[in-house]
Amino acid sequence: MPVLFRFERAAISLSSFVTGLVLWETIARSGYFPPAFFPDLGTIFSTLIDLIASGILVTAAIGTLSRLLFGFVIAAVLGVTLGMMMGRFQWVEDTFLPLMSIIYPIPALAYAPLFVLWFGLGNLPSVLMVILGATFTVAINTWKGVAAVKPIWIRSAEGMGISESGLFWRVILPASLPYTLTGLRLGIGAAWRVLVGVEMLTAVDHGLGSLIFGAQKFLNTDVMLSGIIVIAVIGFTIERLVFELIERRTLVRWGMVTT
Amino acid sequence: MSLSRAQVKFLRGASGIIGAAVAWEILSRSELFPPGFSPPLIALADAAVRMLSQIDIYIHILYTMARVLGGMALAFVIAIPVGIGMARSPRFERFFIYPLSALMPIPSLAWVPLFIIWLGLGNATTLLIVTYAAVFPMIYNVWTGVRAINPIWIRSAGGMSASRMQTFWKVIIPASFPYMITGVRLSFGRAWMAVIGAELLAATDWGLGRLVFEAKEWLTIDIMLDTLIIIGLLGLLFEKAVFQTIDRLTVERWGIVKASD
Repeated sequence: MPVLFRFERAAISLSSFVTGLVLWETIARSGYFPPAFFPDLGTIFSTLIDLIASGILVTAAIGTLSRLLFGFVIAAVLGVTLGMMMGRFQWVEDTFLPLMSIIYPIPALAYAPLFVLWFGLGNLPSVLMVILGATFTVAINTWKGVAAVKPIWIRSAEGMGISESGLFWRVILPASLPYTLTGLRLGIGAAWRVLVGVEMLTAVDHGLGSLIFGAQKFLNTDVMLSGIIVIAVIGFTIERLVFELIERRTLVRWGMVTT
Repeated sequence: MSLSRAQVKFLRGASGIIGAAVAWEILSRSELFPPGFSPPLIALADAAVRMLSQIDIYIHILYTMARVLGGMALAFVIAIPVGIGMARSPRFERFFIYPLSALMPIPSLAWVPLFIIWLGLGNATTLLIVTYAAVFPMIYNVWTGVRAINPIWIRSAGGMSASRMQTFWKVIIPASFPYMITGVRLSFGRAWMAVIGAELLAATDWGLGRLVFEAKEWLTIDIMLDTLIIIGLLGLLFEKAVFQTIDRLTVERWGIVKASD
């Protein structure tokens, strides 16, 4: 395949960016939609700046992120524990796998109305849904990771007289880490998608989902798009920066995968 | 008497499910929630029989399935040219990579309010939300799949004077097929959540998500829980029956991946 020169790469990236913006602006000014339905770029930009300056977007983003992190930390602990147990003990795997394969295909979001009835509106149902959305993904990947640890590593560690806890911390945990990290990465992605939906359904006090959904009543499409931009930035950051950093610090440094 | 491995496995699996059922029954009778908010199993079974003996539930299922499959078909039609284009042309790849990485991390449901304003409540909105949810895993897998084709296959097809069309149909499509199936499979998971969410939010007349929403309004929790179980079973059916059959009929038969794994 031909290799592009640096200049050409930059030019194409720029043209892609400009095409997107021009396309949006053309539709906005064409009059096909009323301006309130399809705001032009200037309006979106100034609304975004206003919302950030007034602190509305910042509080909403902090609210959403703290729900995500709180729920995800619990889901990660539960999921890794369950996955490790399933990988290490045959009876745990046998007992939980059939149950999990029934619960897993129900999208966590579908529980939203039930949880609202049970726990009321507010933070509790959304955090619970984050936990529900992420735990099984983390557990299944961790379980696969433990199953993929080479038996010879375990046997040689045992041959060198390692204790049960030493075996866990120094062999099984690091050896299954590539799978566990994949599980955590997929899990936080699932949790993120569920959370945005749940915030719309349960109208939490400060949240990006409820901000977007609330804006629908007043046809504030510029507010919605500002919210979507912030959602994109947060989603991108979680996906790229956080997990790539963890991977570089652990797997790549230990020589388990090459970049 | 000693049990075989399969019997032990079955008994343990059954005890897990029975354990969950007993836990539910205890919760249901504990009066932790107001009466009717966590109906006992017998009420769930009763509601299930009532639901399944009427035509409505099947129409709900048909609507949801049509939206999922329609949205995924639309996503597939978009993903194939974009994914293959990105894999085959570096200019094409450059052009699309930033827009895609900007749109990909936005959950499809975040677009629901905007799509409602643009397109109104109903099928167009739900269909597009499903398409949005499904398209990114598909593009990503088609792109990776075509890039992963052994270049020697394409070169030897060219050496045997295969035309571009022949190379496309006889080499590129079958060789990247395992990745495409993975893409469809992953996007089904996303699409399945998106359709339920979109039906909950962009309330239309029919659909399983709509049924859950209505059950909340009428406080018929037994119907809501049965609908959740139906949603789970349909998802499981798709994952197990449909995708594994496709795998067996295509990729394994062609010998592209070993049938063993």
